[in-house]
Amino acid sequence: MKTPDLVRIITATDPNVRDTPLESVLSDCSSAALVAACEQLETFRSESENLYERARALFFLAAIHRFHLPAKLASEPDASKGLIPFHGYEQLLQRRFSEAIDTFRSQQNADGPTDGVSSALAAAYQRLAFQTLADQVRRSVRSVRGNQWMFRMGHPEDHPLRIKAELLQRGPDGTYPILREQTPVRMDLTHSAWSDIFFLGMDFPEGARVINVSVDLGVVGRGDTPKPPVSAWLRVLDEPVLRLTSVDLGATADLTSLSEVFDFAKDYLGLLKAAIIAAGIVPPGVEGSGQELSTLLARMVGVGRGLEIVSAVNNIPKGSRLAVSTNLLGSLISVCMRATGQAASLTGPLLESERRMVLARALLGEWLGGSGGGWQDSGGVWPGMKLIEGVRASEDDPEHGVSRGRLMPRHTVLGHDEISAETRAKLQNSLVVVHGGMAQNVGPILEMVTEKYLLRSAREWSGRKEALGILEDVLAALRRGDIKALGEVTTRNFRGPIQTIIPWATNFYTEQLIQKASKAFGEDFWGFWMLGGMSGGGMGFIVAPERKKEAQEQLQIIMSQTKRELQHALPFAMEPVVFNYSINENGTFAELIEGEQALMPPGYYSLTVPSLVKQDRHSLPVCRRAELDKLASAARLNPDFGGTVQSLFDALLPRSQSGASGRTSLEALLHANGFDSAQHEEIRADLKEGRIGLAQNRLRASTRIEDVLDSDVTDATRWFNSQTDSKLESIGIESIKRGEVAVVTLAAGAGSRWTQGAGVCKALHPFCKFGGKHRTFIELHLAKSRSIGRRYQTSVPHVFTTSYLTHAPIAEFLASVRNYDYDGSVALSQGRNVGLRMVPTVRDLRFMWEEMPQQTLDEQQQKVRESLRGALSSWAATQGEASDYTDNLPLQCMHPVGHFFELPNLFRNGVLAQLLRERPTLKTLLLHNIDTCGVNVDPTLLGHHLTSGKCLNFEVIERRLEDRGGGLARVNAQPRIVEGLAMPREEDEFGLRFYNTMSTWIDLDGLLALCGLSREDILSGGEARITTAIRELAGRLPTYVTLKEVKKRWGHGQEDVFPVTQFEKLWSDLSALPELESGFIVVPRVRGQQLKDPAQLDGWLRDGSAEWVESMCEWL
Amino acid sequence: MEITQALITAAGESQRRLPLQTLVDRDGTPKTALQILIEEVLQAGIEEIVIVVTPGDIPAFTQAAGAFAPRLRFVEQSHPLGYGHAVWSARESLGNAPFLLLVGDHLYVSSASDRCAKQLISVARSESCAVSAVQATHESKLPLYGAVGGRLEAGRRGLYQVSEILEKPSPTEAEQRLIVPGLRAGHYLCFFGMHVLPPAIITLLGEEIAAANGKWKVHLTNSLAKLAGRERYLALELQGRRYDIGLKYGLLTAQLALALSGKDRDEVLTGLADMLARRDS
Repeated sequence: MKTPDLVRIITATDPNVRDTPLESVLSDCSSAALVAACEQLETFRSESENLYERARALFFLAAIHRFHLPAKLASEPDASKGLIPFHGYEQLLQRRFSEAIDTFRSQQNADGPTDGVSSALAAAYQRLAFQTLADQVRRSVRSVRGNQWMFRMGHPEDHPLRIKAELLQRGPDGTYPILREQTPVRMDLTHSAWSDIFFLGMDFPEGARVINVSVDLGVVGRGDTPKPPVSAWLRVLDEPVLRLTSVDLGATADLTSLSEVFDFAKDYLGLLKAAIIAAGIVPPGVEGSGQELSTLLARMVGVGRGLEIVSAVNNIPKGSRLAVSTNLLGSLISVCMRATGQAASLTGPLLESERRMVLARALLGEWLGGSGGGWQDSGGVWPGMKLIEGVRASEDDPEHGVSRGRLMPRHTVLGHDEISAETRAKLQNSLVVVHGGMAQNVGPILEMVTEKYLLRSAREWSGRKEALGILEDVLAALRRGDIKALGEVTTRNFRGPIQTIIPWATNFYTEQLIQKASKAFGEDFWGFWMLGGMSGGGMGFIVAPERKKEAQEQLQIIMSQTKRELQHALPFAMEPVVFNYSINENGTFAELIEGEQALMPPGYYSLTVPSLVKQDRHSLPVCRRAELDKLASAARLNPDFGGTVQSLFDALLPRSQSGASGRTSLEALLHANGFDSAQHEEIRADLKEGRIGLAQNRLRASTRIEDVLDSDVTDATRWFNSQTDSKLESIGIESIKRGEVAVVTLAAGAGSRWTQGAGVCKALHPFCKFGGKHRTFIELHLAKSRSIGRRYQTSVPHVFTTSYLTHAPIAEFLASVRNYDYDGSVALSQGRNVGLRMVPTVRDLRFMWEEMPQQTLDEQQQKVRESLRGALSSWAATQGEASDYTDNLPLQCMHPVGHFFELPNLFRNGVLAQLLRERPTLKTLLLHNIDTCGVNVDPTLLGHHLTSGKCLNFEVIERRLEDRGGGLARVNAQPRIVEGLAMPREEDEFGLRFYNTMSTWIDLDGLLALCGLSREDILSGGEARITTAIRELAGRLPTYVTLKEVKKRWGHGQEDVFPVTQFEKLWSDLSALPELESGFIVVPRVRGQQLKDPAQLDGWLRDGSAEWVESMCEWL
Repeated sequence: MEITQALITAAGESQRRLPLQTLVDRDGTPKTALQILIEEVLQAGIEEIVIVVTPGDIPAFTQAAGAFAPRLRFVEQSHPLGYGHAVWSARESLGNAPFLLLVGDHLYVSSASDRCAKQLISVARSESCAVSAVQATHESKLPLYGAVGGRLEAGRRGLYQVSEILEKPSPTEAEQRLIVPGLRAGHYLCFFGMHVLPPAIITLLGEEIAAANGKWKVHLTNSLAKLAGRERYLALELQGRRYDIGLKYGLLTAQLALALSGKDRDEVLTGLADMLARRDS
């Protein structure tokens, strides 16, 4: 087979060739041809000097190893199953991507292509591709003229900025004036199909176009009239400090050293610090100079003086998709630039050149703070409506010869002659802007889009081109003043290009809202408008103007009701809100507030006054005293300061009742869910004494961990490659027909990784569209069992194990959908064990950060992470190591105690008894995780289990790089599943070819016998005896200590993530019991793959897994 | 272009006493700063000197000028309305002719055989256009000076065609607008305090002053920027250094510079070395 010439596609100047979709060239290639094509690309990418050629080659390589080569290998029965070299994995974690690629390629050359090594190469190529692109963006950010000097300046004595004289003019009462910058946020009318990602604008500037509107906001129901949602305040201080306050995040700090300015994650002031650095007040070049902040301030503001900078967000929650944080950053940078003479005017709007500089600085600030936004996100700095477009790099640009497009886009403000004042008013009268309450991480989506565009994947690329046409349609509708047509276009965009490119842009919640809004308003519902990277947060509904007020009220009701229905299924961060909004025709705008009016925002005083009133009044600086006098006067006379006295009282005398009631309900919950306080105290003592902990989870270092022999496993992959074993299959079919098998799905978990610790019920998550509808994990599993049952004219009983977190929601949900009209019985098995999380020990935190493999982040993000770790260590120390973790919602303080208990719980809680009464023939249970989508009661595997004579048969899959957490091993010559926590050394795992899927075929009688129980014991319900038997069995299994990340939500959609300690006992450790015979079956990845992270979904859809899974389902 | 007259401004609030300070010149003779400046001008072949002072300062300046006093014509700046206004105040004395402009609080030490003013006059004469003396200055000094952007005149070392002029720019602005090919990173062409200007500048200043109407101070820079937009305007990097005697230790630095380039160089160096050697810490 001829090797496809992929280099030609990458280097082609003809767009028709350059935009050839990769999949169209590779569809007929053999694995050998794919390997040869990879060799060509590898040589090309290491030699090419053009950034985008290199990046595309890297994405091509990643895609071939992720999708194309594994598919070929899976269909080639003799493909070898190889190991992933640990050394390469370490290199990958240390971000030494090129070296990792060399290591993996050497392994591939030695073993031939394998699924495992391809997964490692795919990851390495993909990360190197993103690293290459990110490096270029950063280089461009630094090389923007106006930013460069800040990197050169290394000593405070060289500081070239001076504070403007106006800010040093004290008022008669001794206080300094305040410079206040108010900035709108931005809405994107065209969605842009993510073309505003920097990489994409720089790759295909012609395709990067958006219509972006600056808006003021207010929240309906809180009496807020629209005003600029973000503001930044600056004044001179008589102390040589940088005093930073974030009113919205409730944080304030006095910085006295330069190192504190660069410590981004120490507190909630990272954005302010990034702004101060990006605005040149503390230029990035002085980081690590060992110089004094006071020297720098003396040079810039005057000897003994400092600066105070305050940020405030007007009740706009996180996840609004309105680029609040980028515009706040822009606002802060703008106020700092004005104050230091970097803008022509201290007050009023900015000049175009200055706005562009704010944009460049905001990019720098986002890079410094380790975050990143799209290039249109600073749009609020500009006035009104504007067209923002990517620009081809010309000879004068630093990007010239490196990328096709410039980093900085072009802004064209659309005047009233183009879009009339009447049209603007009509838009305001028809568009209802809401925040649906979901706050999700859009990072994975942005990566998906980047990859798809650079691969020129056919569907997505045509979607992108269609989106460009949509922009023209939006513009035309606006020019005509036809808002109804606009609604049609934005809906078409959402249904068409957006979801063609990223199916995950919508979700079940959004679909419900659209459906209900459409039903409520009929013909008067003109359209849905998606804001930002993901729906569920900021969204727009366009209605006939006469019904707008009604629509605002109705949508609030619809959203709140739908959220209540889905709150256990989807990660909501806050109660949905509806906004009032108006177009802001100023852009960012500053005023100098002097005299009596020179006060900070009201919320500032709730934060700062409590500590001031505790001081002797005479010890306060004169200007502080004068300010308090002004505040007292404003509290009486100024309506803006109306609630100040009350909020000051609240701050001074915090109410403690809510904390106490939270504690009470936690105790009640613990009691109700079988919390064993004696065991808890034992664990605490063991933790404190260091008898248990992350280090102690591991098997002894002398333990021999080896890969299993081929004879230790049964390779069932061949049965899925059309080499079916009809004998085993018919044994399985007969067993199914006799009603001997039931499925037990583990659904007790909250899906920590799935929602990053948000604590929802993963089983109920409508995670993917099948058959045109979003389906929950539960529905998927029932659909597979339904299919098997109907095929063999029977029904398969289905049990879902639950926990305190998931039982009630699942029960309620299944009742509401009538068990999805499942043919057989559906039972819930409620967990009977629960633990109370603890504050981790600093020792365990250190072990996790220092001894366990960690992904090194890029330079700036790593700094942020290290600063955060310092903060978490001191949090653990001050809270008390191994003390109870109670500072969160009660359900977030409790934890399930491991999946070992879930099956024995069936013995205790009567569910097995019920099953046995219903199906006395029951003989085999198939246990699996909720997120193992491809597992089903496969007759051949069942036949194999029945004939194997083993009590337990564990399904394993060939290991890929992402399959971490143990595997199938010979431990001191005995085959068993070893948990990752127990591996004596990290590298041991990489010597194992197979990864545990958790799916287990169980011989019921064998398992009962292991516990010393019989069917009669179960049916007679002697709970005490059963409980003792289970406890004895559990006692023979190890207890693992783990650190879990738990979210704590606060404010308006803000979230913190804390690592907390919990313990667990794990099911697969049963394979280590000598008297229990365990078997191990190698199954195809599509069957054993678990979906742990939403970022996996896209690949899962693209590699054919979703299609394969759907083929096993029968939907109703 | 024939240049026969010079204008020295000394009316600024903070600079009125500076020209009266006494220093030891290169020739070892104690002189006032004003006398040193006057010598700079005279050696450039200019005989007519106009000095702008604050009302009431003429006697002190006359005394400070010593033997040169009879050559001077004084103009009083009626109101402290900025540097541009000070220059404009001398319009009648200057008439409709080009002039050399110097600031009274700067001293110049040339590293070439010709003194700084002479180097400038020589270029202005040969090029027949406005020329400002500039010095490549580190960006940390930008808050102190006006600065120009432009490009090198083909084949002329140190001579630039001026395209942009900004008064005390921020580094951000300077980096965007004042980059000059050939200068080291972070360096800009900042004014030296010495210009040769055509009479048109007086007209431009007059317009500025009318627009300001006494509400704000009028700088020279805006009018220079307008001048650059109308006619050929060059900037010359002189072989020499300027010393702002109004800065902290400015007078001391200027004195050292004069001494180290003059006849008492060895004596001063010996004194400095001795001082350093005897320093306790």
